[in-house]
Amino acid sequence: MNRALIAILAAIVLLPLVVRPAIASEIWIFAIFGLGVNLLLGYTGLLSFGQGTFFGSAAYVAGWLLKHYAINVFFALGIGVGVGALSALVVGYLCVQRSGLYFIMLTFALNQLFYFVAYQWTSVTGGEDGMPGIPRPAILGIDFGNPVAYYVFVSVLFLASLWIMRRIVESPLGKILQAIRENEVRAEAVGYDTARFKLAAFVIGGAFSGLAGVLYAMLFGIVPLEAIGFVTSGNVVFATLIGGSGSLYGPVIGSFVFIWLSESVSTLWARWPLLLGVAFVIVVLFFRGGVVEAWSRFAAWRERKWRSSKQTG
Amino acid sequence: MAGTQVAILETDRLTKSFGALAAVSGVSLAIEVGTLHSIIGPNGAGKTTFFNLLTGSLAPTSGKILFDGRDITGTPAHRVPHLGLARSFQRTNVFPAFSLFDNVWVAAFARASSRKGIAWRRADRYPEVRERALAALADVGLADKAERPVREISHGEQRQLELAIALAAAPRVLLLDEPAAGLSPEETRNLVALVRGLKGRYTIVLIEHKMDIIMSVSDRISVMHFGSLIAQGTPGEIQKNPEVRRAYLGGVAA
Amino acid sequence: MSAFLGQVLNGIATGMLYALMGLGLSLVTGVLNIPNFAHGALFAIGAYLLASAANLMGNFWLALVIAPLGAALLGLAIEYLGIRRLYAAGHDYQLLFTFGLALILSEAIILVWGPVGYSHLPPPILRGGVDLGFTFYPKYRLFVMVAAGLLVLGTWLFLEKTRYGAIMRAGIENKEMVSLLGIDVHKLFTAAFALGAYLAGIAGALTAPIRGLSPGMGVDMLGIAFVVVALGGLGNLLGAIAAGLLIGVAQAIVAAHWTEASSVVIYAVMAAVLLVRPQGLFGIR
Repeated sequence: MNRALIAILAAIVLLPLVVRPAIASEIWIFAIFGLGVNLLLGYTGLLSFGQGTFFGSAAYVAGWLLKHYAINVFFALGIGVGVGALSALVVGYLCVQRSGLYFIMLTFALNQLFYFVAYQWTSVTGGEDGMPGIPRPAILGIDFGNPVAYYVFVSVLFLASLWIMRRIVESPLGKILQAIRENEVRAEAVGYDTARFKLAAFVIGGAFSGLAGVLYAMLFGIVPLEAIGFVTSGNVVFATLIGGSGSLYGPVIGSFVFIWLSESVSTLWARWPLLLGVAFVIVVLFFRGGVVEAWSRFAAWRERKWRSSKQTG
Repeated sequence: MAGTQVAILETDRLTKSFGALAAVSGVSLAIEVGTLHSIIGPNGAGKTTFFNLLTGSLAPTSGKILFDGRDITGTPAHRVPHLGLARSFQRTNVFPAFSLFDNVWVAAFARASSRKGIAWRRADRYPEVRERALAALADVGLADKAERPVREISHGEQRQLELAIALAAAPRVLLLDEPAAGLSPEETRNLVALVRGLKGRYTIVLIEHKMDIIMSVSDRISVMHFGSLIAQGTPGEIQKNPEVRRAYLGGVAA
Repeated sequence: MSAFLGQVLNGIATGMLYALMGLGLSLVTGVLNIPNFAHGALFAIGAYLLASAANLMGNFWLALVIAPLGAALLGLAIEYLGIRRLYAAGHDYQLLFTFGLALILSEAIILVWGPVGYSHLPPPILRGGVDLGFTFYPKYRLFVMVAAGLLVLGTWLFLEKTRYGAIMRAGIENKEMVSLLGIDVHKLFTAAFALGAYLAGIAGALTAPIRGLSPGMGVDMLGIAFVVVALGGLGNLLGAIAAGLLIGVAQAIVAAHWTEASSVVIYAVMAAVLLVRPQGLFGIR
């Protein structure tokens, strides 16, 4: 576990040397997003295909307040977390009452609801054009307009989010959510109100998604309509799965892979979502379990080879 | 036989109908505290449905369930363990990816006196829960395998785990649904010894098919057939009951 | 009043199309038990194939026959090459796969037909309107109502009255039982997927002259299909019809008074119904 943390710290330090600070920030922001989604997907077994709802809603509300009311950064973060959690509460309440395929469809459909509201409410959201002109207010004399300064800010928040999520998954709540994933009937039979716990997971996931949304808005200075759309919802699920939903760090790895891929390819071809779709298809057909599992399979293979060479050698 | 002891669990004309089919029909019985009360009957007699009604997974069509004299009819499934009723399942119903310890820990935590810090404290910082979980595993003889994952233990041990999960809830009444299902003769003997060891500490309601088990451990037996109670009494009385013989041997196969 | 009735009629026409989409999705999802996010893309393909075929051959009716078959063929290919390998994979991977396909297909549409939406006129015989007394109603919409109605009826007859349809219904209920009866479950899945793709394709083909074509039409319709299934219930034919008509009519009425809300209203209706009846209109699962 410590090795993973060291690797992450190293990555945080080294990343801006390899890519632009803005891209580096985007990676950690998306990782925060993925952590929230994985609490639902990997730990609770809930496939929510509408996380863009909370990401985008938080971005719009916080962005609006930042732009028109010049609120300070910490307040903006609080708003982001709050809006993410609140919208997740509303959506989650409707969704956790159904299970399986219905749950997936409902999260998607409600995502569409929010999307169309954002699309039509052009006076506030800007509709298709998005909401530009979002500032990055300074705090304590630190000018966050400087991309490196903002990167440090984002990294610190990422580490804080990682720590919080780790506490959650190692807590009894984490165990209970996994029990629900393993056997919801039995979890209920031993005395847990599973609907309440699923809703709690949903709200926590929404809070993380909301934080990511605000940071995203401040990073790019704009909230694009896509932030609240189904493609964002799909991307974060993809990133989580490709990293490996079975571990805490999977979404972090997945964020790396996804942002790197999408940033490199999107500048090359306007039709790059097609390649994204192809990537999804290939990962599903050949790389299920994600990077984390592929790595552990590789490590196990290496172990076997080493052992057999010791025997023959 | 008039109950001189307290009935801890009672049903009053409990009925569950699915459309025209009455799976459980007007079942009234009383379980006396500290006894082992078996429910037997041919397949399809409604025994598991009866358990489902008791644990709140099914809502009764009519009738009442009383626990300790209180009407608990309509209690949702997740609140039932908190009343003091725990159940094991006929088909092994555990948490597959967990270790044995985590399986019982989750059940024990549900009944923790304090859930403070549920999302924040580390799971191993609840000593009372940990003790209860280990005790449950010890009761069924699986304490040495606590850290093993479920997929590494045998079917017989899984049935023991199934029982341990129910014990971890520190119940007053245990509802055991065919705990010996799928066990070899030797495993069955071990299980019977286990159940005998639990008598007295818990009130036990047992559904079983294997007659030798029933006869050797039960204080009282209720016989169900086509959803209704057709006989009740001591093992000796039931063995001699002609209705029971007819239900098991004549016409409808067990 | 006559305006209101006209709106209701509009709503019934689009509602029948929604029901058709929901029906196809319901079948696929019910039988195969996978989340099918490519269903909307098949709808879009059906529409674009119709437009191209009709322009190419100068014959709408021929195109109406060919386009859905093209969608069904595509559905067969998708099932055979991909979905078949994912039945045991878990909903997350199935979702990602079909979602990836949806992306590929919608981008492919842009590559082939361009990013800008355009319209497609109905065939000359169906242009113009019919005088219904209380309103002057577009002929094409009447045609769509009848055609969609016949398709729904045909699907119902297939499912209720034929042996293969009964197998499909059984497959929704209990797959193990079906395979125990000696039926090749894989063939069943392939057939169900192809049928679902066909229904999506023909819904798209019928829609093209009403709503025009745009690369995003698949996603919009996907969400609506999900609403129909969430309200009507998986595998529930009557549920799909009822739900489709409900949201179609609601949308038509709202759209006449508050155009901006016309997309949102469908989802708002769904949310409202689910608040009151979490199990959907017919309370299944």
